Amino acid sequence: MPLLEIRNLVVRYGEIEALRGVTIAVEAGQVVTLLGANGAGKSTTLRAISGLAKPASGEILFDGESIAGLGPEAIVRLGISHVPEGRRVFPGLTVKENIMLGASNRKASAAQISREADAMFDLFPDIRAFADALGWTLSGGQLQMVAVARGLMAKPRLLLLDEPSLGLAPVIVQAVFRIISQIRKDTTVLLVEQNARMGLSVADHGFVLETGRIVLGGKPDELWGNEAIAAAYLGGHAKASA
Amino acid sequence: MDLVLQLLFTGIGIGAVYALVALGFVLIFRATNVVNFAQGEFSMVAAYLMVVFSVDLGWPYWLSFLIALGGMALLGVIFNLGVYYPLRHRTFLPVIIATIGASILLSNSVLAIYGPQPQVLQGWFDTPGIQLGPVYLDSQYLLIIAVTIALVFFNYWFFEKTLLGKKLQATSQDKEMASLLGISVSTMIMITFIYSAVLGGLAGILVAPVLFVSIQMGSTIALKAFAATIIGGFGDVAGAIIGGLALGVIETFGAAYISVPYKDGFAFLVLVAFLIFRPQGIFGERVAEKA
Repeated sequence: MPLLEIRNLVVRYGEIEALRGVTIAVEAGQVVTLLGANGAGKSTTLRAISGLAKPASGEILFDGESIAGLGPEAIVRLGISHVPEGRRVFPGLTVKENIMLGASNRKASAAQISREADAMFDLFPDIRAFADALGWTLSGGQLQMVAVARGLMAKPRLLLLDEPSLGLAPVIVQAVFRIISQIRKDTTVLLVEQNARMGLSVADHGFVLETGRIVLGGKPDELWGNEAIAAAYLGGHAKASA
Repeated sequence: MDLVLQLLFTGIGIGAVYALVALGFVLIFRATNVVNFAQGEFSMVAAYLMVVFSVDLGWPYWLSFLIALGGMALLGVIFNLGVYYPLRHRTFLPVIIATIGASILLSNSVLAIYGPQPQVLQGWFDTPGIQLGPVYLDSQYLLIIAVTIALVFFNYWFFEKTLLGKKLQATSQDKEMASLLGISVSTMIMITFIYSAVLGGLAGILVAPVLFVSIQMGSTIALKAFAATIIGGFGDVAGAIIGGLALGVIETFGAAYISVPYKDGFAFLVLVAFLIFRPQGIFGERVAEKA
């Protein structure tokens, strides 16, 4: 049984049908990458899984149980942690406080959470020096590190990562993806990326979304092997890093 | 010089009341992005609750005080569930109008029960005050200042040193993200309303012996407190407190040296000056952090 299974998921924003029957499965222990152009519905898929967007129809099963229609607070308690687009680090709280709040989905003492947040800096040494800096003072790459660290504090069984490379310099993107390949040892990851090359480099499986529908799914080399798809969605060399 | 010290004391005392109410404004604004126009009525209702328990029923002052604050906490819960919660997904305008409606409902309910005659509430202490050198320290003003100082420290400790305080801050900065982390946003907002109602109530109970207990006391205090939040920098906790104290001192000196009838006018003159020359308030640049 897959850890996460989505069947015929439809999500509407008013009149607009953002997802028109998305079906994907994520096996435990895998990194699955969702690719697609702007507006294809990648973020909406993640928002539906984490409870931010209400499905109009279709099923979302986590560990075999339906979670469609639950609120975000309930879903993160089940073990799905969503690191949304734009990092969303609390600007008026320090880096350490941001990371500590990542544990809000589970019962633990403040002292325990503080120790875990300190330990998180071993995985993210680049932000250790900024532990007491306020969120708004950080750069994009640092914010991304904080956002992922905060997401991991939930001790998720499934981590949803939305466009972690967006707006980052190539060297920072590589650092972020190094972290993703470390995370995958313990956590299942559903990754949304526009940067197809990077996204597939860490993936066990990939799906391509186009205007609210899955048009292709398979192992990374199969996706690369499909010439028409590679040209249209995964981009040539020029578009790959765009 | 003696008069200056005396006025400074009185000004800080009355300013502390504005600061407490202003703090209530700011906390609710930060959590919900809405100005609660019934914040002043919280003070008025609490003062009347004191009159009911302490004067009418003759219960001990401290007991009446605790029950009145308990009543304010309950009012905070009812206010949140009845006024804010049903409209939480709407824009700020319906919510603001609902708070204005609630404010009218509260003041007219009290009017219907108690009639228009102002009531008198004794101060906490039997001693009217103490003479310290050239300055006479009114005991009620001393109490107001002491409580305000204690609350400023409590507020700092609560919001800066506790995990719950951090969750409240996170909720006020980004509700959607807070909910993604498993923070119960509706609980955080409930706590904010309870805390603001108790703060407003505390201000009303403390200032009641200095003023009369009347239906209008709420709107008078709230207008000054609102001016204080703008002077301090809207949405800023430290700004609300500094703004409140500054306003109390300014109007006290204005009344003493320029004109007593225009006492309230000075507060609003300062407000208008701030709106023209420094609309972001004293701590205005820090408000931008929230955006």
